[in-house]
Amino acid sequence: MKRQIGTGLAVLAAISMTACSSSGGTGAADTSGGSKTEGEVKQIVLWGPSSEPAVETWWTETINAFNEQYAGQYELSRESIVRSNSYAYEDKINSAITSHDLPDILMLDGPNVASYAANGIIIPLDSYVAQEDKDDLVASSLEQNTYNGSLYAMSNTESSVALFYNKDMVEAAQIQVPDKLEDAWTWSEFYEAAKKLTTDSVAGTNIIMDKGEGIPYVMEQFWISNGTDFTNPEGSKADGYLNSEKGIEAADFLNSLIQDGLANIEPIPKEFHNGKAATALTGCWEVKTLNNEYPDLNWGVTYFPVADDGTSSSPTGDWTMTITVDSQDPEAAAAALNFLTSKENAASYADAQGKPPARKSSYDVLSQYDEMPMAIFKEQLLNTGHARPRTPSYTVLSPQISEAMMNIFTGADVRESLDKAAEAFDKDFEKNYAQ
Amino acid sequence: MKRLYNQSHRKQQQQAAYAFVLPAVLLLFTFLILPAFSTIGYSLTDYNIMRPDKISFVALENFRELIHDENFRKALRNIIHFTVFVVPYQCLLALALLTNVKLKGASVFRAAYFSPMVTSMVVIAILWSVLYNPNPNQGLINAFLTSFGIGPAAFLTSPKRAMNSIVFMSGWQAAGYQMMIFVAGLQGIPQDQYEAASIDGAGKLQQFFYITLPGLKNIIKYVIMITTIQAMKLFTQPYVMTQGGPQNATRTFVYYIYQQGFQSRNFGYACAVAAVFFLIVVTMSFLLKRIIKAN
Repeated sequence: MKRQIGTGLAVLAAISMTACSSSGGTGAADTSGGSKTEGEVKQIVLWGPSSEPAVETWWTETINAFNEQYAGQYELSRESIVRSNSYAYEDKINSAITSHDLPDILMLDGPNVASYAANGIIIPLDSYVAQEDKDDLVASSLEQNTYNGSLYAMSNTESSVALFYNKDMVEAAQIQVPDKLEDAWTWSEFYEAAKKLTTDSVAGTNIIMDKGEGIPYVMEQFWISNGTDFTNPEGSKADGYLNSEKGIEAADFLNSLIQDGLANIEPIPKEFHNGKAATALTGCWEVKTLNNEYPDLNWGVTYFPVADDGTSSSPTGDWTMTITVDSQDPEAAAAALNFLTSKENAASYADAQGKPPARKSSYDVLSQYDEMPMAIFKEQLLNTGHARPRTPSYTVLSPQISEAMMNIFTGADVRESLDKAAEAFDKDFEKNYAQ
Repeated sequence: MKRLYNQSHRKQQQQAAYAFVLPAVLLLFTFLILPAFSTIGYSLTDYNIMRPDKISFVALENFRELIHDENFRKALRNIIHFTVFVVPYQCLLALALLTNVKLKGASVFRAAYFSPMVTSMVVIAILWSVLYNPNPNQGLINAFLTSFGIGPAAFLTSPKRAMNSIVFMSGWQAAGYQMMIFVAGLQGIPQDQYEAASIDGAGKLQQFFYITLPGLKNIIKYVIMITTIQAMKLFTQPYVMTQGGPQNATRTFVYYIYQQGFQSRNFGYACAVAAVFFLIVVTMSFLLKRIIKAN
């Protein structure tokens, strides 16, 4: 009998051990939990999304350089988390928030900075980052990384979206493409061009980058260009902005592209790359893909279209580095953060990423931004870039807008859809963040 | 003396039984029962994922909000729509697929019908999104339809058709599983019953109604039950194919729980939806059981 109980207990112990180890099986157990002091060397942990080989190499080399420079004082390690197109990264952060297991340095996507700042998950960096470095950020990055007057994040990279076009198709249709910012197509010109380019087998344009964040990221410009925005400048109210008359005009215009058959509501992946769309509103990162994987496609890039009587605007925003409230030694974390976002490292990181740098000084080093097509992205970024709304309720705003636009594209009433999205945002802000 | 020995032996055996059950009970308790109770607990709070340290008790506030929540009601209607259509369709399709004929190669068909079941639903959902693409140059089904002068039809982008499109592909994907259970059930019916029936002059149809169906009774009950419960948990297809749209046409309970909990981070509210969902599923299965029993 004793033996039986013993066996039972052994089985139980074995099971509970596997249960425990599988719950920590991501490897988080060893590395998370903020900085730990081991002898004299302070451990600094960074979490970031995993990336392609060139960027991974940058991380290894830069972290080694940091650890060499601060040998005996600090030791930085990075845990890369697979993100793909899901919310796995955010899910991991969310569970770490609950258990107070956040790393010292946390990488966050730009539009989420405000949300994490408002909830006290990341700390202000004003006393850790030199004014000179702050001033070196391009305006849109500074805007994105600032919440309530304090700097909460540092960036190495930015992003921009412009109108890619298929040169062969455009030439065949005898369409003149603007090559100066002030000549950028107006909505009417864009519409006419798309109409001319649409055939039975080719869509005139592609406005749906993806059905998630891609929608607010690209489409907000149509609101801004038309003289309004998704929310008020404080990011506390969407009613009267998102669903204003100007906003409805913007949505009507986008909807006309879909309803008149000039753009597909369900574009196949890489529609433009495969010659199934004559133009596409898509991101600067596609330049690399097009060059490497579609060498036969004859393409060019022109400026983001502008409202008929409006101002130029273009999307911006990219991943940032922040210091979390769980960091036991923010001084140490700041040393690492400043190292990783230094002038030299910011430039080399942006180069490895193939994204426009977030620091003005990087443009002096990276000559590709003086030439086409990257020059367009730099020009837009420095002159017409706008950060997405800096509001703690962005996590509600973004899916609400994607949903509203998809509803509009499938025939729902424009005003009603925007009213509903604005109401949902206002309700969330009111409930969680109103003073 | 012997009786005493028996008693102590029985006691020992009982103890051993408890020891063997303990691990399962402990695991079930930790990973199923405890979370279920904390879900109910959290549904009475304003838990926001971003602020785990600032949870306050709001009593039935979440449930009050839920009553007026249009999305919640729509999710309920959507899931009833899906279940009502998919369960009979899937079970009938499974019966139609029955490959219990004693023919060479029947097992090949059986494997073929079963194969969508072993493929990940995400993969199948992506595949069907391509098949359903409204553009006849890109969507296979519409290319086929237009070549006959019909369509093109908006399958996933029409609020009227989106849920039915999901019903169709879900039935196609899962019917192989029900088929497999039916096949196993059929093979459990003794062959001599059929022989006896045919000697008594029963035709194929009579054999089906008086031997096959009664023989499969328990299997049919089981299949309908699990298919219904599975159907009510619909998530992957709308998540991958329609994101709950268009115009809310495919937003299901589980998808709404995910959206509220993880996208909007209103965990308290998501837990309230989950608690109500749990109640609905339990009531449904209970009613279903009684209806089946009555028949």
